[in-house]
Amino acid sequence: MLRRASQSAGLLRMAVPKGVLFDDCVAALTAAGVDIGGLANPGRQLVIASSETEFVIAKPTDIPAYVAYGGVDVAVAGKDVLAEADLESVEMVDLGFGACRLVVAELEDAKAEVAENYRHLGVIRVATKYPRVAERHYAAKGIQVEIVKLHGNIEIAPLLGLADQIVDITATGTTLEQNRLRIVEEVLASTARFVANPSSLRTAADRISQLADSLATVSVE
Amino acid sequence: MKPVTPRGFRDVLPQEAEERIAVGDSLARTFDSWGYRPAETPVVEDYGILEQGAGSLEGTAFRLFDSDGRLLALRPEMTVPIARMVASRLKGERGPHRLRYVADVYREQASLRGQSRQFTQAGIELVGAGGAAADAEVIALLIEAISATGLVDFTVALGTVAVLGALLDASGADEAWQREVRDAAHDRNLVEIDRLAGREGLSPSVARALAEIPRLRGGRAAIEECRAHVAACGCSESLDGLEATWELLESAGVAQRVTIDFGTMRSFDYYTGVVFELLVPGVGLPLGGGGRYDELLAVFGAPAPAAGFAVGIERLHIALAEEGVVPATRGLDAVVCGSRPAEVFEAAGKLRAAGWRVRLAPGAEGKDAVSEARATGAVETLRAEGGSIFRLDRSGEPTESIPSPIPPPQALGGEVG
Repeated sequence: MLRRASQSAGLLRMAVPKGVLFDDCVAALTAAGVDIGGLANPGRQLVIASSETEFVIAKPTDIPAYVAYGGVDVAVAGKDVLAEADLESVEMVDLGFGACRLVVAELEDAKAEVAENYRHLGVIRVATKYPRVAERHYAAKGIQVEIVKLHGNIEIAPLLGLADQIVDITATGTTLEQNRLRIVEEVLASTARFVANPSSLRTAADRISQLADSLATVSVE
Repeated sequence: MKPVTPRGFRDVLPQEAEERIAVGDSLARTFDSWGYRPAETPVVEDYGILEQGAGSLEGTAFRLFDSDGRLLALRPEMTVPIARMVASRLKGERGPHRLRYVADVYREQASLRGQSRQFTQAGIELVGAGGAAADAEVIALLIEAISATGLVDFTVALGTVAVLGALLDASGADEAWQREVRDAAHDRNLVEIDRLAGREGLSPSVARALAEIPRLRGGRAAIEECRAHVAACGCSESLDGLEATWELLESAGVAQRVTIDFGTMRSFDYYTGVVFELLVPGVGLPLGGGGRYDELLAVFGAPAPAAGFAVGIERLHIALAEEGVVPATRGLDAVVCGSRPAEVFEAAGKLRAAGWRVRLAPGAEGKDAVSEARATGAVETLRAEGGSIFRLDRSGEPTESIPSPIPPPQALGGEVG
């Protein structure tokens, strides 16, 4: 599990999330003075080496595992994804971009119905892409829930009668509104984080700390 | 359906098993040479007793009920069982106790995470000795034991939990906040520590120390930077133990193997002083670690200072294989064939008495015995016939006979046939 191909020529290996965080991530690295090589226009390549770093373009939800098991030394990942994975990593810098909220939401007119279901049937059904975060949230409040893990379009679950509430991510709230959903409460405020493998942080300490410091300076601006 | 092992458990085949034993034996030899004696504890412990020592084991320990309805657990590590053993069986005996073990431990793991649920740890515990001298002994022993396995590229990251504890005491803040800081430090979440350090009413020097100290790494300079922070917070003595340990490691000539790292954390809660991890570049998880746990023995009614470490044999084996320095294991010297089983048995007995490792192939033809030797890695093939032992060539034809008395095998410096 923890064995990996020997590092080529001491390049730091870094996972970069594809999707919504990608462009901000490239911008932050550039602003921090990192040589990003061909990262800005990767085409279909998944691994791109520059003079000092080997970038791995990864599915965001896979990044915590890459970091925890030492597949990469460092990475950029959303706090929401890190919280859901709950794996070992050193969270070094809040990069500030990619801000969104994980919220509990329910149908606009469903409040009484949800409360009645809980009183009568003793359980709330929750649909989410974040089952662990959702479970921890409700457990902390002492509410019994049944969690349905879905992989996308979580907003639709209440309309289909699959769930009473959802735990999902929202940046502006528009998608929730369009699906007649009302935010009940916030579970977690998320931004992109710079994280490191705990072992790499000690064996390549100087380079990782320098990178963290440059990114921290950029993220404050 | 093919029979397979449960998730996270696996079989170990001969080559790997031989190498694992060699790695474990190498560590044990170094532990022996420092006067550490082997001890064994049961695989199963009372769940409540383990939790008394280690804190919550929810989701960590394998639990089971026996037929009396008692809740038991497979040991998830060896420190608490050894502490329990020392507190009960060695109570009143003259310490300090220097104990070593090579033992299988078991941990529950969530599914689909690719983690083993059984692994082997080699470690030591030094019970009844406190202070920097004992800390330095444990760390220097770890470094010597790992070097002796042949591993070249490794580092010990050394920190202490005493500093964080003292800073929290100095903060004067409420318990809940202190708990949050401890949790964030445990999760190595520097972003969260920064946020918590921004709490209103906190003295600026404590806030700065909390945010900066987990980021300090290096050698003496890191200790000095930390010294400036803790002195400003009035808890300078919390660093004394680590500094004295570092100085002893320097004078022992092993400090170049040690990196001071105030962000070092261990997964169990019982540590009270120095904590350390064994790291190898390119291997993403620590190979082992340990630290000082001065309050654990008191939980079992026999207060005593103590420190120790454990190394994961699987991870160390992988690191050795990566470096191409897996300990050499001695293979088979010969396959002995012959048409009459009684003659094969007798010849093999004589060879073993002369120090050979032989494999019996009674009834096998010369040609088949030669291919068996090739498949099992044996150095040569022999045939027992009429009271003599003949060497066979590659086509299975006899060449010369082995003289009497039988010389030692080639692997031990015997003549080449």
